[in-house]
Amino acid sequence: MVALARKTLIHEWRRYLPASLAVAFSGMLLLVQLALVFGIFNGAAVYINASRGQIWAGYPGTQSIDSGRSIPRDAEMHLLMDPQVAQVEPFQWVNGDWRGKRALGSVSVFISGVDTAPDALAFARVIPPALRALLNEPDAIIVDRADLPKLGIRVGESGILNGFRVRLVGTTNGLRALGGVNIVASLATARRLNVGGDPRPAYYVARLRDPQQAAAVAARLDPHERGRRYSVWTASALAARTVHYWLFETGAGLGVVFMSLVVFLVGTVITSQTLMGAVAGSISEYATLNALGASHRALSRVVMEQAGWVGLAGLVGGGVLSALVLVLAQGQDVPVAITATGILACAALVMGITLLSGLLAVRTLRNADPARLLR
Amino acid sequence: MSATMSPAPAISARDLAKSFTVGKVSTRVLEGLSVELAGGELTLLSGPSGCGKSTLLAILSGLERPDRGSVAALGEPVWELNRKELQRFRLHHIGFVFQGFNLFPALNSVEQVELPLSYLDLGAAETRRRAEAALEEVGLGHRRKLRPAELSGGEKQRVAIARALAKRPQLLFADEPTSALDSVSGQTVIDILHRAARQHGTMVLCASHDPRLIAHADRVLRMEDGRVLADEHTLHPAAAGEPAA
Ligand SMILES: Nc1ncnc2c1ncn2[C@@H]1O[C@H](COP(=O)(O)OP(=O)(O)OP(=O)(O)O)[C@@H](O)[C@H]1O
Ligand SMILES: [Mg+2]
Repeated sequence: MVALARKTLIHEWRRYLPASLAVAFSGMLLLVQLALVFGIFNGAAVYINASRGQIWAGYPGTQSIDSGRSIPRDAEMHLLMDPQVAQVEPFQWVNGDWRGKRALGSVSVFISGVDTAPDALAFARVIPPALRALLNEPDAIIVDRADLPKLGIRVGESGILNGFRVRLVGTTNGLRALGGVNIVASLATARRLNVGGDPRPAYYVARLRDPQQAAAVAARLDPHERGRRYSVWTASALAARTVHYWLFETGAGLGVVFMSLVVFLVGTVITSQTLMGAVAGSISEYATLNALGASHRALSRVVMEQAGWVGLAGLVGGGVLSALVLVLAQGQDVPVAITATGILACAALVMGITLLSGLLAVRTLRNADPARLLR
Repeated sequence: MSATMSPAPAISARDLAKSFTVGKVSTRVLEGLSVELAGGELTLLSGPSGCGKSTLLAILSGLERPDRGSVAALGEPVWELNRKELQRFRLHHIGFVFQGFNLFPALNSVEQVELPLSYLDLGAAETRRRAEAALEEVGLGHRRKLRPAELSGGEKQRVAIARALAKRPQLLFADEPTSALDSVSGQTVIDILHRAARQHGTMVLCASHDPRLIAHADRVLRMEDGRVLADEHTLHPAAAGEPAA
């Protein structure tokens, strides 16, 4: 069997290059926009992702971690009774109103009340034990470095939070929230700032002896009965709920879908035009083959195989391009995040572009009429 | 009419009519044309430009449907076959040589010849053997690894002929096979076609307005205005290189 499709691709690679580039850039655009959106919206789940612990208990039906409400204290005992659970700690959630000393008006903030023990779970990934110990001082707070200008404060200075004077004892990285400023305080401070609110915590975080068991433990700890007063999720499930909620709450999810459609369309137009041009350029050769008895289906297979190779080259090129862009973004502190599902979805779309373009190019083969060779 | 009595003709066409309509103008190209063509003979179809040579070739070879009339090729009623059957018939019995060589730029000479053979499912070894034999037959065995860009016009046309001959068709149609070539290359090409007719018993129908080819034909059909004006058998077909009488 003569490998017509491959030999032609190699011999006339310049002719097919634009198609592969179109596929590669489409793939890159799809993946990078997805990574950016996920990166930004992962900020909504920073409380979960920046903490250790595989299990979260919170108010039933909580769609997003920032809409947490107080749950009964017996949840803590319930979690501790499971043999897999090694450690449980409360996580307080208080909405706040900040007044800096300069005339910046008021800023709405989220106050997280956390355990101050050296091995505490909440924000363990971004607040090292030494920094955390500073929270033991009454009315001490920690914020993200990037939020300082918004709050109009420097380390060691004070501001007014929910009417109380609080002092900034330190800053960290990776605490930025979506749509507000995150402020971390001790559980005691948070309780004091929660004027007139429910003193009970909104969440309990638990660490398991074997992190692999998270799904099973969450399933057996979640009280299934009606009228339950709290639910139990794995950390990743609560994070996914939160990101998902924000994606659709803000309309960003629809934006991603819309943008993907546009990229798909543009990629298909360019790729199919290039392939159609290539087929048109060899139309008399295809017509000769048809005259000699090669079926239209056999010729279509050649064109589809070419489309497949073009798509594969584009997929590889797009993968390399995306990796470069994502590494660059990460180096510049641009929030990006990507999951295996996201990569697979982009790859599927890219192969869809290729397939559709191939089918459009096959239509051009209709012009391969051998009677036209006789004039 | 014919001087020799041949058995069943390779092609027998009756009462062919064809007209083309472009816009509101309808042109009659063939008008009640009948013809019989024998295997083992090279028939030259000559006549002025636009007289319908190519159209007749297309109808006889199953590429263009006539408005009226019938074509029996190797006993098959060509225009009663469906698309798929017609394609199969072409695959197994018909070879073509066109004015343009229509070779794939990416393939070398053996691959050009192997490509249409591969649709016959002969197996890789037999396909290769036949392709190389066909290239030897047109005198291009030593050129088999070269691509079209590295071949002269005459050599390209010989590769195209090898491609048509390799599947051993009983019917071979050539439309102006020499008009893009210089006279020496043209001579070589017509000799090869002639030899194919003699050695394999192939019916070769060659449309051309090149008068130099007349000397190489077994039979000459002169066409004008969609009709055969004269049908001449050359009693002593010129041997290769011999000047026409
Ligand atoms: N597809 C078509 N549509 C319209 N007219 C056509 C078509 N094919 C052929 N014709 C017309 O039919 C007539 C005969 O064409 P044909 O190609 O058979 O001539 P020919 O004898 O092969 O000429 P030449 O020696 O120049 O190749 C011409 O007048 C041509 O314009
Ligand atoms: Mg013609």
